[in-house]
Amino acid sequence: MQSNPLELTLCGILLKNPVIAASGTFGFGHEYAEIMDVSHLGGISGKGLTLNGSAGNPGMRVYETPSGMLNSIGLENPGVRHFVEHEAAYMRSLGPAVIANLGGHCEEDYLEGARLLNDADIDILELNISCPNVKAGGMAFGMLPDTAADITRKVKAVSRHPVMVKLSPNAPELVAVARACESAGADALSLVNTFLGMAIDVKRKRPVFENVYAGLSGPAILPIALRMVHQVAHAVKIPVVGMGGITSAEDALKFLMAGAVAVQVGTMTFADPRAMLDIIKGLADYCEREGLSNLQEIVGII
Amino acid sequence: MAEIIRNEPIASGIYRMTVSGAPLGRAGQFFMLRVPGALDPLLGRPISICEIDASAGTTTFVYQTIGRGTAQFATLLPSQQIEAQGPYGNGFSLKSGRAVLIGGGIGTAPMLQLAKELRASDPARKIDVYLGFREEAYLENEFAQYADSVTLNIGGYVVNDVDFSLDATYYACGPAPMLRAAAEAAAAANANLFVSLEKHMACGVGACLGCTCQTEHGRKRVCKDGPVFDYREVLHAI
Repeated sequence: MQSNPLELTLCGILLKNPVIAASGTFGFGHEYAEIMDVSHLGGISGKGLTLNGSAGNPGMRVYETPSGMLNSIGLENPGVRHFVEHEAAYMRSLGPAVIANLGGHCEEDYLEGARLLNDADIDILELNISCPNVKAGGMAFGMLPDTAADITRKVKAVSRHPVMVKLSPNAPELVAVARACESAGADALSLVNTFLGMAIDVKRKRPVFENVYAGLSGPAILPIALRMVHQVAHAVKIPVVGMGGITSAEDALKFLMAGAVAVQVGTMTFADPRAMLDIIKGLADYCEREGLSNLQEIVGII
Repeated sequence: MAEIIRNEPIASGIYRMTVSGAPLGRAGQFFMLRVPGALDPLLGRPISICEIDASAGTTTFVYQTIGRGTAQFATLLPSQQIEAQGPYGNGFSLKSGRAVLIGGGIGTAPMLQLAKELRASDPARKIDVYLGFREEAYLENEFAQYADSVTLNIGGYVVNDVDFSLDATYYACGPAPMLRAAAEAAAAANANLFVSLEKHMACGVGACLGCTCQTEHGRKRVCKDGPVFDYREVLHAI
């Protein structure tokens, strides 16, 4: 049997390719399963969960910007218990690796959420310490090396699943945060979450978002995200999953060459639900064209 | 991928685009329209179905050039391709008996296909259409072929023209203040009213949660659970 040049192992889990649906852009898979074949994906990171669920933020939530978008969803989600009881098994049935994204407002939220997720059949816990749109907690945990390491260590201590820490590009010393998470036992890192941005409604002389600031994603952030992935991937030994504005196989290859073993795609899925399938096809074509027996051969060549 | 058959202005800042090759939907549903391969603007624009010609296999959209995305649509020419993802959303359900349709501004567009389907499903029913525009009317002649009456209101409040005490089902689409007025009038008369809501959305399929609203039955997504709701369910969300 011919080997699959796209497959890789991430946190001990075999992924059939390095293309993962980014958290917050794919629900738990239901919606896109209706309109595309999601079984081809390497993985799906589910909507960011908080212990007790949340209705999310009031007011305007999405706003398009040049080659990108700002969002202020605010982690609207049904809660960890609902996920464990109703969504995890469904996600498993889809085929791709199952990643549960866990956010929190305080330390105890994260730890109780991680304990509850021990009862779920998931492959990886993505620890979200980088959501810019929740008032308490969220990104605050990911801004400084000490707090990031502390929550990583504690979640690792209670979780039976591999822990991939999702980092914020808004951290003043991102590489230091990444190293601290590695030292604290993180099995992998994913970056970047959205950049804190802002929009103003000039006509009404008001911020567009009730939270004033919101998270920027899409092609507009790609060069900055790529630089950050490059810096972090060269500073740590654990695997890095890169993301930020990927729209094509060529974009995905940039992140792999910069040192990411896999990528996540988010905003582009909103624009074109089939984008990830096209990226996977493009990566397979690239392997054939370049004569690679496995795509991982190009990881970190730059 | 759909092909543009025609794309031309029908009023100031209002365009009518007919495409072939898009799957056929029904009244009240919408498509995410996007210029193929465009990264700026990146996201599709939710544009509701204005009219379907099932025998020709064409779908017509009427859209207003409000921002960069719709302005870009206006530059597209016949025979060019456009991505038409959909049809998405629940659409209107056709209730039996008399129907009253209320459209405000660009919200008149989905009412045309609704009138067409209501007429086709019951040639004998009475259909009254009320259209409100700020300055300039459009589509009013197209309604005449399906409706028993078409009442125009330019510059005023179209809801004030409507008698909500009839034994009829009311359908409304338009700006939020118009829908709120319609909901108030329907509540006062205990009328059955369905409203089609509009919110900013990124994906159109229920994944981004950009367009959720608080309803009487929990949080719902305008794009996926709507855009058509019984007004009683979304009284506080309009």
